[in-house]
Amino acid sequence: MTKKFSFTPYLFLAPALLVTAVFIIYPIISVIYYSFTDYDIMTPPVWVGLKNYIELATDSTFWLAMRNSLIYLIATPTLIVLSIITAILVNRKLPGITLFRALYYVPAVSGSIAIGITWRMIFDSNGIINGILMTLGILKEPFQWLAEPALTLPLLIMLTVWAGIGYYMMVFLAGLQNIPEELYDAARIDGCSEVQKHWHVSVPGLRPQIVFVAVISSLAALKVFDEVYVLTSRTGGIMDSGITIVFYLWRKGFQLSHAGYASAIAIALLAVTLIFSLVNIRLQEHRMEAD
Amino acid sequence: MRTKIVGLLMLASILLGACAAPATPAAQPPAPTPQTVVQTVVVNQTQIVEKQVVVTPTPGPDPEAVIPNVEPNAQITVWTFWLSPTFDSYVKDTIARFEKAYPGVQVKWEDHQATFRDDLNAAFAAGNAPDVINLSVTEGWVSQYATKGLLLDLDKAVPQSVKDTYFPGLWKQQLVNGDNYQFPYYQGIAIELINKQVYDKTGLKPEDFPKTVDGLPALCKTIKQKTGTLCDIRLTVSDLLSQMVYEAGAKVISDDGKKYTFDGPEAVAWLQMYAGMVKDGTVDRNTLVTTDDRVGLNLFTSGKAAFYQTGPNLIRDVRANNPGLYGYLTTVTAPVGKSGVVGKGLMGMSVNAKSKYPNAAVALAQFFTNAASNVALSKMAAVYPSTPASYDDPFFSAPSVAIEDSAKPVAKDYVSHLADIVPTLPKKDDVNDIVLHAIEPVLFNGADAQKALSDAVAKANALIQ
Repeated sequence: MTKKFSFTPYLFLAPALLVTAVFIIYPIISVIYYSFTDYDIMTPPVWVGLKNYIELATDSTFWLAMRNSLIYLIATPTLIVLSIITAILVNRKLPGITLFRALYYVPAVSGSIAIGITWRMIFDSNGIINGILMTLGILKEPFQWLAEPALTLPLLIMLTVWAGIGYYMMVFLAGLQNIPEELYDAARIDGCSEVQKHWHVSVPGLRPQIVFVAVISSLAALKVFDEVYVLTSRTGGIMDSGITIVFYLWRKGFQLSHAGYASAIAIALLAVTLIFSLVNIRLQEHRMEAD
Repeated sequence: MRTKIVGLLMLASILLGACAAPATPAAQPPAPTPQTVVQTVVVNQTQIVEKQVVVTPTPGPDPEAVIPNVEPNAQITVWTFWLSPTFDSYVKDTIARFEKAYPGVQVKWEDHQATFRDDLNAAFAAGNAPDVINLSVTEGWVSQYATKGLLLDLDKAVPQSVKDTYFPGLWKQQLVNGDNYQFPYYQGIAIELINKQVYDKTGLKPEDFPKTVDGLPALCKTIKQKTGTLCDIRLTVSDLLSQMVYEAGAKVISDDGKKYTFDGPEAVAWLQMYAGMVKDGTVDRNTLVTTDDRVGLNLFTSGKAAFYQTGPNLIRDVRANNPGLYGYLTTVTAPVGKSGVVGKGLMGMSVNAKSKYPNAAVALAQFFTNAASNVALSKMAAVYPSTPASYDDPFFSAPSVAIEDSAKPVAKDYVSHLADIVPTLPKKDDVNDIVLHAIEPVLFNGADAQKALSDAVAKANALIQ
C-alpha cells in the first residue's frame, strides 16, 4: 500500500521555511562564499581561495581577540554565582521585595548602548568613581580607568555581569520557586545552616537552569560587541586591550571595508561556537547519565 | 458635460505643457509677467480650435545655473552629513533655488549621521548610492571612494570657468592620480579654544600660546604643574599618515608612490614627542587615541581642560552644554606643524560615477558649493566658504560679536592657504591601521619609536607589493 503524497504539511511549513531560508540559510551561505573572496562591500567580490584563512592563522590581532573572547567566558560562572545569590535574596516574602526584583531587572530591559554610555561616564576621568575617590583623599588626581590597558577587559566583563544579573536572576528565581518547601524543611531538620540549606537543596534543584544559563551566557560572552564598542569609544581599547572576536570582525568588515576577511573571521567564530556548544551539551549529558 | 470639462482641462494642460521651460540652464528673474496670448491648435487636420490661455514667458538664464546639458526631468538624490535638523531650512532653501535654476530637475534629500559611512557603503554595494554625496575631505573619504572608481572625475566633467570660482588650493585638495573628485564645500578654521578659568592659572597669556606644534609638550607640562589638569590633545587616529606629513613634515611615501617611508627621523621625533607627553602624564590618554572627536570636546566642555583644538562651529556645542563656561572662552590660532601648512579642507560635494543623471548631479553638487550657497551656510554656522567671491558679502566685513565669529576677519586668508599636501597613499586605511598599532605600544608601553615605525613600514610595504 502506497501513501498518497500531500502538499498540505509543506504549505504550512512554507512561511517559516521561507523566512529561515532568507534570513538564516542564505546569509550563512553568502558568508561562506565571501570568506573566500576579497570583498570591500562597494565593488564586486574577487575570488582569492584560502588567502583569508591563511592570513587569519598568522594574524596576531585575531588571536588576541580570540584570547580576549575566551577570557570573557569568566563572565559565565560569575554571572551564575551572583544571579543565584541574588535570586535567593529576593526569593523571600518581605514587604516591597517585588520592587527590588523589578529594580534588579532594569538593566535587562535597558539598551546595551545606554548601559555602556552610563558606565563610560562613571569611569571617565571626570566621572563619579574618580570624584568619590578624590573626595575621600584616596586619589590626588583623576585616574584614567578607561585608558589603562590592564583594566579594559575586567571593566568590560564587570559591565556584562552587572547588566546580565537581573535577567538570569529571574531564571533562577523561577527555578527556586519550583523547589518543594519540604526539601528545605528536611534540610533544616537534618541541621543544615542557611548556607548549607541552599548548597544542598537550592543548587542541585537549579541544575536545569544552571545548564541553560551556562550555555546562553557563554555564547553571549563569545559574541560580545556592544559593550566594547561603547566603553572603548569604538577603538577596542588602547593596544586592543579590550578587543573581542566580534569587535574585530566589525572593525575589519565595516571600518576597513574587508568584508571577505570579516567573513572568514565569522566562520572561525562559528566553528568555535559550535565546538563550544557541543562540548557543553556533551558534558551536561554525561553528568545527567552519571546522576 | 463632465466629459467636456475634462476635455477642456486636458487641452489646457497640453498647451501649458508645451510652453513649459526646459531643464537646461534657464529661469531667472526679473519676474516674468503673465500675459494673454492666443494659441491655435489643429485637431484632426480639419477642425480648428481657438482658446485663450494664460502662460508665463520663458525667463532668461539663471546666473546660478552654470552647468550645461542638464538632463530634462532628472530625479536625483543628495546625501548630506550631519546637517539635519539644525540646517534643515538652509538645505531646503538651497534645493528650492536649485530646482528653480534648473526647472524640471527634482531633488530628493537625505541626511545621514553616525551611520553615514556604513549607509553609503551599503548603498554602493546595492547599486543605489546617491547621485550627490557630501564627503569629508579631512577624513580622506573622497580619496577612499575615488580610488575605487566610485566617484565622477570632476576635472573632466566641469568647465574651467566653474573650477576657477573656487580657491585653487581647495580644488586641488585630495587629488587621486592627479584628478579632482570633489567640489570644495564649507571649510573650517583650526583654532585653539581656551578656557581662561584654567589657562590663566598658568600665568601665561593666550597670545603666548605656541605657534608651532613642538611647543605643546612644554605648555602641557606647565599646565599640569600649575593647574593639575591634563592637555586635551587628539591624534588623528583615522589618518595618522596625514598628521605625520603636516605636523612632522615627514615624507611618508617615495616619489614614485611604491614604497612607504614613514620611519624617517622626522616621523620618529614626532612620535617621541607624543610618547614623551604620555610618559610625563601631561595628556589625557583617552582623548589622545580616540576616534571620536567628541571625547575631547566633552572633556573641554566639562571645564577640566585648558584648551582644545577645534573649529569655531563647535563652540555652539560648548555653549549649549556648559553655558557657564562660554563667558570664559577665548580663541587663538592653532599651532602649525613643521610642514608650515595650516591644514587641509573640511568638506566636499562629490558625484556618484554611476549617476543616471551625471550632469544634473554635477549641477547640484556645484550649486551647493557656489558663492551664494556658501554664504547662506556661513551665516548660520561658523564655517567658511570655498569660493573667494563669497567673502565679498558684507557679512564677512561686519564686526564680530560672538566668539564663534572671531575668526571671520582672517577666514579668507586662512581658507586660501588650505591645501592637501599628502600624496596618494595606496591601501591607506590598512596602512593607517598598521601605523596605529605600531605607535600605541610606543605611546603607552615604552616601545622603541624607531623600531616600531620601521616594522610598520616593512608591513605596509609588504601589503602594497
